[in-house]
Amino acid sequence: MNRLGIILAVLFIAALLVMGLSLGLGSVALSPGDVWAVVTGGGEPLQRALILELRLPRTLAAFATGGLLAVAGALMQVLLRNPLADPYVLGISGGAAVGALLSMLAGLATVLVSGAAFAGALLSTLLVFGLAHGTGSWTPVRLLLTGVVVAAGWGALISFLLAVSPGAQLPGMLYWLMGDLSHASHPGPALIVLLLAVLLAWPLGRSLNVLARGSLQAAALGVSVRPLEWTVYLLAAALTASAVTLAGTVGFVGLIVPHMLRLVLGNDQRIILPAAALAGGILLTLADTLARTVIAPQQLPVGVITAMLGVPVFLYLLHRSR
Amino acid sequence: MDTPLLRLEQVVIHVPGRAGGSPLDFAVQPGECWGILGPNGAGKTTLLHTLAGLRSARAGHVVLAGKRLGELHRRSVARELALVFQDHHDGFPATVLETALIGRHPFLRPWDMESARDMALARAALARVDLVGLESRLVGTLSGGERQRLAIASALTQDPRLLLLDEPLSHLDLHHQVAVLDIVRERVNSSCAAMMSLHDVNLAARHCDHVLLLYPDGNACWGPTEEMLLLPVLERLYGQKLVTGEVDGVPVFMAAGGALDGS
Amino acid sequence: MSAIRSVTVPPAPPPWIVAWVVLCLLALPVKVLGEIRVTDDAGREVHLAKPAQRIVSLSPHLTEILFHVGAGEQVVGTVSFSDFPAAAGRLPVVGSAGQLDLERILALEPDLVVAWQSGNPSRQVTRLEQLGLTVYYSEPRRLADLADTLEQLARLTGVPESGAARAEALRQGVRALTAQYAHRPQVPLFYQIWDKPLMTINDEHIIGELIGLCGGHNLFGELPALVPRLGPEAVLAADPEVIVGGGSGEDNRAWVDDWRRWQDLTAVQRDNLFFIPPSLIQRQTPRILEGAALLCEQLEQARQRRPESGR
Repeated sequence: MNRLGIILAVLFIAALLVMGLSLGLGSVALSPGDVWAVVTGGGEPLQRALILELRLPRTLAAFATGGLLAVAGALMQVLLRNPLADPYVLGISGGAAVGALLSMLAGLATVLVSGAAFAGALLSTLLVFGLAHGTGSWTPVRLLLTGVVVAAGWGALISFLLAVSPGAQLPGMLYWLMGDLSHASHPGPALIVLLLAVLLAWPLGRSLNVLARGSLQAAALGVSVRPLEWTVYLLAAALTASAVTLAGTVGFVGLIVPHMLRLVLGNDQRIILPAAALAGGILLTLADTLARTVIAPQQLPVGVITAMLGVPVFLYLLHRSR
Repeated sequence: MDTPLLRLEQVVIHVPGRAGGSPLDFAVQPGECWGILGPNGAGKTTLLHTLAGLRSARAGHVVLAGKRLGELHRRSVARELALVFQDHHDGFPATVLETALIGRHPFLRPWDMESARDMALARAALARVDLVGLESRLVGTLSGGERQRLAIASALTQDPRLLLLDEPLSHLDLHHQVAVLDIVRERVNSSCAAMMSLHDVNLAARHCDHVLLLYPDGNACWGPTEEMLLLPVLERLYGQKLVTGEVDGVPVFMAAGGALDGS
Repeated sequence: MSAIRSVTVPPAPPPWIVAWVVLCLLALPVKVLGEIRVTDDAGREVHLAKPAQRIVSLSPHLTEILFHVGAGEQVVGTVSFSDFPAAAGRLPVVGSAGQLDLERILALEPDLVVAWQSGNPSRQVTRLEQLGLTVYYSEPRRLADLADTLEQLARLTGVPESGAARAEALRQGVRALTAQYAHRPQVPLFYQIWDKPLMTINDEHIIGELIGLCGGHNLFGELPALVPRLGPEAVLAADPEVIVGGGSGEDNRAWVDDWRRWQDLTAVQRDNLFFIPPSLIQRQTPRILEGAALLCEQLEQARQRRPESGR
């Protein structure tokens, strides 16, 4: 328990620091003193607008998205018994993307685009659930194959939508597909989902440790395998759907963060899950800060940064794990 | 007559592609050590998995400590019996100590962290299988024999009244084979029971007081060791000509050259 | 020829004079109807034996220009979204500007294809050339280029006078606006061309030229990209006096009005949030003058709203 407490405390402090950094950096230069002034209630109107209405929601949204994706990735890796699984492998992101792109084509408002994305994610979840259930034996390999096929189907639809969209719409669509936090607002619900998911998943942690060794082994040790697998799947789906609704399909976070944590902290899900929530948030907040500032005033979608950071990090992890 | 730990009531195990078999109907009392013998494909693993509740039988009921398996929660089953698998899949890296500790899972509630007692049990189990000093080694770096012993340690940590072992002696050198059999004997003597599938008839002859013979066609017979381990019976079981002898009052069987029909 | 002739009937001109006169008369149109040569915006020479009778236009704005100079009758095909004038909407469609249907274009047997250099896929247009079609590349970056385009397309399509007149009208309009507004007090502004992602334009863009013409100063004019993508922070920091923008439709003010949530922006405080229908300013057609006029008036309104203007 001590070890968990120490790890979480360290990550929490790091999270606060990173969020402070994110509030302080942007197209407009602000000093730490300015940030402090605004946070404590003062500051000039422009600074208040910048920090409280632009940077704060965006920082919180980045944190929420990173945490959601990292926890979803950790859960998926246990569920599929595969360290290479990421939250999108079962097609949830594809469904969300189709929902979002369709509503962008129809010219709907941002709120409806997010709603359509969420609906698409749910639809995809149910689809994979139904297909995997239908075939009877619900092994991780079967689930993975079903998910991959469904994801490919969504991919085809996405290509189609991109092909027929008017040229003016394309940048918006591509940004969404790459993962973009510039229009993320109302991070509140996502943060709540993250917190609830971690609280719900934590007591399941030891059962997940056992499940990770194989379903027969787990059953022999008293784990109700099928209900647990469904719970994990639905939980991961809810987390991924929330993340994608907020920021589009940001890549790499769900794959890399649980991996890095396992290298450093071991394989106990009771430590990995809450740590992933914090570490994922830290990583994505940093990435988004970079995306906003590296070629300011021009903006990059955050997915570009996660991909560019993710590839060398992943190669390093592979190298380490040999 | 105390309640048997395990009772098989007309149990027919389900082997895909095999029509049916003789119904198994016997009881395992505390203090008994059963050996399951038979050629490959006879269904030894299937039987053990059925007894552990991981597979459904085709017919009949398995009764564990007075209750039918189907009516028991998985957790309760796991507190009564432990199954040592034949194959060990380790998807994610874990340490030796963590793997041994897994045996405590059925006894811990979701919010519990492992207590000092749990740790002590795990360490004692590791010591018993001669894996002291390897606690923080990753499981993937163990040799076949070490992994096998670790599986037994996990079962010991579970501290069950019924021990089911699926070919527990594979990968083990002679010294450790004897050690594992001693462990089983120890537990049996402290009013637990054990059922293990073995390839070596002679070990069954020495260490088990009851044997169950499974034939590839589904037939089965069982009973006390001295009554069951007879030359013609074993020759029919393995489809192999055997010669027998006696060592220390215990029969010993060895394969002879030539086919069963004498040619 | 004796001076003494009967005066009742003037003598018929001798046949050879008639022949000469007729020949001379015939020769004139032959000279005008000879080979047409123009240089397109890609710097290549385009020549036609006679004015184009079957034109395929690969961009809505080029279709509009063709109709404007009087060659609308000769356009046999265009791309999607060619909606102005109304007659253009009834033309056969040969794909979208970004993805052409080469088969349909060939089937129409055009003698001239008018292409948009930066908007059409270059590989497809090159293919058309390889297949033997005559292609004129258009890429007007400045208003002067636009006027030249009017003239050149008019020449290629056999209506040079009409084209010249329209071009001159355009140039006149530009001169008039310049004279009226270019030297007015500068108005720092932000031009929003798209909403998600937030995009603006720099000085090299044709809209950038219009801004200068109206006495405006594009606060992001010096950014290197032609269409930079920004974040709202940059706009807040720049604090423009005027925010002008398009919308996702001809009368959808939503993008511009969204800026009202930032109460402290000068543009919001003075209600200098102006909307210009995209088709009037974001297309390189003669209607851009209308958009320019609108912009200039809006900037003039902004000047009136300045505290020191006394109003």
